Amino acid sequence: MRRILYAGVALAVIAGAVAWFLSAPRPLDESVLAGLQPADATRGERVFWAGGCVSCHARPGAEGDAQLELAGGLGLGSPFGTFVAPNISPHPTDGIGSWSELDFVNAMMRGLAPDGSHLYPAFPYASYARMTPQDVVDLFAFIKTLPPVEGKAGESDIPFPFSIRRAVGFWKLLYLSDEPVVAFGDGTDPAVRRGQYLVEGPGHCGECHTARTALGGLEYSQWLAGAPSLEGRGRIPNITPSQDGIGSWSASDIAYYLESGFTPDFDSAGGEMAKVVRNMARLPSEDREAIAAYLKAIPPKP
Amino acid sequence: MKKLIASALVLMVSAGTVAAQDNPIKSRQALMDAAAGAAGIAVPMLKGEMEYNPAVAKAAIATFYGVATAGQAFFPEGSAGDSKAAPKIWEDPEGFKAAFAKFQSAAEAAFQASGKEGPADLKAFQAAVGPVLQNCGSCHETYRLE
Repeated sequence: MRRILYAGVALAVIAGAVAWFLSAPRPLDESVLAGLQPADATRGERVFWAGGCVSCHARPGAEGDAQLELAGGLGLGSPFGTFVAPNISPHPTDGIGSWSELDFVNAMMRGLAPDGSHLYPAFPYASYARMTPQDVVDLFAFIKTLPPVEGKAGESDIPFPFSIRRAVGFWKLLYLSDEPVVAFGDGTDPAVRRGQYLVEGPGHCGECHTARTALGGLEYSQWLAGAPSLEGRGRIPNITPSQDGIGSWSASDIAYYLESGFTPDFDSAGGEMAKVVRNMARLPSEDREAIAAYLKAIPPKP
Repeated sequence: MKKLIASALVLMVSAGTVAAQDNPIKSRQALMDAAAGAAGIAVPMLKGEMEYNPAVAKAAIATFYGVATAGQAFFPEGSAGDSKAAPKIWEDPEGFKAAFAKFQSAAEAAFQASGKEGPADLKAFQAAVGPVLQNCGSCHETYRLE
């Protein structure tokens, strides 16, 4: 009897140790920064608009230059609770002003806070993991040029068991990867490649336009084939080149939509997508054309 | 050319056959379809994909003016139904009213600038209709779901 008890305790200890090991944070080290060019805020601004940072991190309802005050505060509803976007202005205590470059890279590409704890993937680092470290440090340089904003954003409301941050480590084992989503062969049009980078990486289009598993990871077999809206009514559309998607749109239709919000039927984007269009409109036209080329080249899904 | 005039006529007819107020969802959707039709000739002309024609340009502006002036009446309390109308319309009625007022004043200014013959050239049309078109996205961002 006692032997069984000992064995049980030993197993539990081993299982606990394995779980602790598996869920551990895996930060990048300084070597990720080696060989990069000096961070450039001008290049970083382009990354900033491609990523649409203001959609979540500006004060809710902010317009124009007020969007550049990254005070946070927007609540994102989800089946796992309500996540509140934090202050990412360069304020030294309330924002990210005292972060190192490497802290920022680890937040963006590994979903880690500077103290090593896991961030929730409502912050779409599962997409940002595909970015180049150069783009990430350029983005950080740009954010540092923005006004520091005092005051923390509100607290997220995450009920148990999702409140256990350490468990996000398991989620990352399943869903955090820097591998491209769509495999393109050699000789692929550079515009398609650029579009792939923008859509799968900083643009994080798949985070809304792809259905999720019960654990909240992206269902990559249904890449960009549409999904129920995470917040309330409506459905996020299929943007693959199929009949149910946007197969009837030309590449220039897609590029114009991203610039103006007008579909080929001259409907005009609303809701979250209207914000996305405002960000996309800030990109050079070749980036919108690249996104369009990629969306024409990916596998069509019903 | 015939095609242009025909599409302008279709627009005016679709704006004119708005259903009765007892079906506000259908009525406002018909109005928005009329606005989309107007954008469907305004934008291609602005992009140079369609030949500029002052009378057609005026028809597009007149359609926006009609939609902007009449539209707000078709969002009574409790009429969200199965539409894409966002709850914010009724949560923030003052904001919604202000958004429609902005659309209306831009459309009215464009209509007045059109004169009898319509805007003389593409540049005049751009100046008149540009501020009208901006309202599509800015209003939909807050007051429509997708």
